[in-house]
Amino acid sequence: METINIVLSGLGGQGILFMTRVLAQAALDKGFNVMGAETHGMAQRGGSVISHLRLGKVESSLVRTGTAHFLLSLEENEGYRNLPFLSKGAKMYVNTSSRYFPREYVKEFLDKREIIYRSIPAGTIAQDLGAPRSSNLALLGYFSAFGEGPIKYKDIKMTIDTISPQKFKDINLKVFEVGYKKGKDFNNNSFD
Amino acid sequence: MKTTKQEILLGNGAIALGLLESGCKVVTSYPGTPSSEILPEVVQLVKSEKLDTYIEWSTNEKVALDTAFAASITGKRAACCMKQVGLNVAADSLMSAAYLGTVGGLVIISCDDPGPHSSQTEQDTRFMARLAKVPVLDPSNPQEAREMVGLAMDISEEFRIPVILRPAIRVCHARQNISFGSIKKNDQKAYFEKNPQRWAATPRFRLILHGELNKKLKEIGKKFEILSYYNFHNLESGKKYPLGIIAGGVPYSVIRDFLLEEKRTDIPVLKIGTPYPFPESLAKEFMSACKMVLVIEETDTLIEYLLRDREKVMGRLSGHVPTEGELVPQVVHKLINKVLKELNLEPFQTDDDHEAMQLVKDLQLPARRPTLCPGCPERAAFFAIRKTRPKAIFTSDIGCYTLGINLGVVDTCLDMGAAITIAAGFYHSFAQDAVEQPIVATIGDSTFFHAGPVGLLNAVYNGARFILVILDNLTTAMTGMQPTPALGIRADGSKGRAISLERIVAGCGVDFIEVVDPYDIKKTTSSLKKAVKYVNDPKGGIAVIIARHPCVIAYPDEAIPQKKRVTITEDCVECNFCLDRFECPALYHDQELGRVNINREICVDCGVCIQVCPKGAIVEA
Repeated sequence: METINIVLSGLGGQGILFMTRVLAQAALDKGFNVMGAETHGMAQRGGSVISHLRLGKVESSLVRTGTAHFLLSLEENEGYRNLPFLSKGAKMYVNTSSRYFPREYVKEFLDKREIIYRSIPAGTIAQDLGAPRSSNLALLGYFSAFGEGPIKYKDIKMTIDTISPQKFKDINLKVFEVGYKKGKDFNNNSFD
Repeated sequence: MKTTKQEILLGNGAIALGLLESGCKVVTSYPGTPSSEILPEVVQLVKSEKLDTYIEWSTNEKVALDTAFAASITGKRAACCMKQVGLNVAADSLMSAAYLGTVGGLVIISCDDPGPHSSQTEQDTRFMARLAKVPVLDPSNPQEAREMVGLAMDISEEFRIPVILRPAIRVCHARQNISFGSIKKNDQKAYFEKNPQRWAATPRFRLILHGELNKKLKEIGKKFEILSYYNFHNLESGKKYPLGIIAGGVPYSVIRDFLLEEKRTDIPVLKIGTPYPFPESLAKEFMSACKMVLVIEETDTLIEYLLRDREKVMGRLSGHVPTEGELVPQVVHKLINKVLKELNLEPFQTDDDHEAMQLVKDLQLPARRPTLCPGCPERAAFFAIRKTRPKAIFTSDIGCYTLGINLGVVDTCLDMGAAITIAAGFYHSFAQDAVEQPIVATIGDSTFFHAGPVGLLNAVYNGARFILVILDNLTTAMTGMQPTPALGIRADGSKGRAISLERIVAGCGVDFIEVVDPYDIKKTTSSLKKAVKYVNDPKGGIAVIIARHPCVIAYPDEAIPQKKRVTITEDCVECNFCLDRFECPALYHDQELGRVNINREICVDCGVCIQVCPKGAIVEA
């Protein structure tokens, strides 16, 4: 089986490690070998944070540039910063409320590399639900609506249910669901 | 019946598991990235497996090593964990412990930080092992790190020598699925056999011990030659190769994955899991089958130095491998490709990232420098310090507050405790020229406990004068909120005896000590002004202010007992004073609005910024 490479990015405090944990655990439960790399320490104080996740029989934890199948970014600029990781035909999911996504030059690049890009205002969604720090779950929900890659909506939902701290479980699942619905709506509209 | 479970563990969790599986009875540590999570993971496992392991956060790395060493010479298996620069602090202990030897296994885990991501240097622990003359094991991934801990314990006990495990950051902070079962309790009891000629050896006996150490290394070297589980190559017998790669640690796993991915069986690899003592015969065998060898190791050139046939070696010394920075996969990929082309061999199927790199460069994305968190009490203290002493030299130290550099209140950062010692050095250098140079030193509470008091009493004793602000946020924040001795809470959550910062400072001979809450900028400023007077008074001396307020991450409720939701009025004249001098990430210049605005997603409603605006435009909503 081919290795699946996933890059997750954003800013310190946005919950990238939790998002990575959810995907990693869901993958493990599906029988994948899991390898990942995280940012800790100084880099977590509001700076750029990146997390790598590799599913398959690999021994190294970092994704090489040009080989990521998915990029999930909780911030638009951090998404752009990590463009070099994307392979041809990769898929990119970004949290942004900008109407101008993807910004100029980026669009040409993405089209040329046949990279599919999708954006969702995950931050706004989370804030509207009274959980401003849960944009990570809205993005995960949105991602899961497209059914791409080996980890599906049901797997992710079950994992969130299992690993969320009791205090946040309900709100986490709620934000995840709203993100998922947004993705489903987008899917339905685009096939109309 | 043996039950096993599978979990995704952090590399540091895998190391913790390895320690307990190997029967480790005593584990000590001082936190530092990338090693900090090992001890908390040990605590978790000890609780869930109901073991009786003794665990402590020591005040510094030397203390940690001494404590573990003592346990070892009572016959118990022991370990101490630290970051690579922590081993510098413990070096005195390490060098001597190598001579004295061990009884129970003693493993020193020193985590390297190529990059560097969160360290002062990119130093290579393997060279410290060589300097101390102790074996070092270099794991390539979490699973291997877990297994190597057991090997390290066995070697240490068999040969009576401390052994170093050197996981790099991509082992410590990698996550991997790992299977494990229940952990057996080790019932070894403490017994110390007096032998002053060894345990208190004088120089005459040290010479003998040095001879013993050299003999041990020779024997261990022989063992490493045939340790085929960690030192191995994939040469086909009788076959000759134009290029072979010698690798260890994290780069080995990267190269292994590349070669499998690219199906390159034409490039043999020699993996070195035990770089010192070096498996020389194995390396010789590998080199004789290869016309050229490329050495890829992190972070320095240990293996490269140890290969005798210099003519065949490509690596850092020949300019084929970068001499600084982390060997991330794309760097390794490119450098191997360059070598393949240079030797007229088939290059990798590369997908060039040049275009994407150029695009990112052209986008001129805002640099995201790390900053103090919204609501951080250290930011408030820094603001008051700069306001009171704008012309001072600001000596600082290692911790979150090094980020005070963004606020223009950090001029120096050398090593743990140097805020105080550098301040004293500055004082004497300027005083010698009869110059009254204002100096304000800042140091965190945990860093003060680690290396502060010795420098402080030296500064008092030798008549230095400066203001020392101890930024006391009641935790070791940077490395993940470990308790400090002041809290009276120990590593496992049990009650310890709380140590008073004030009493230590007074004990160092300081007569001016004030405790302030930095959230109250006015009171902090007036305390600083008093301190200035004291420092300049002929009968004065060093003034210490303890700026005490709980860390907003560790204690969100206690840090902000009364939330103050702030808003920005039309009085904002866009002077950007708050952005430059206060630099709270929750404040930003809103171009559309034509004034400063608040990012509600990250604002924690501490309300400190109300005191900052010179126009009074930041108000409680």
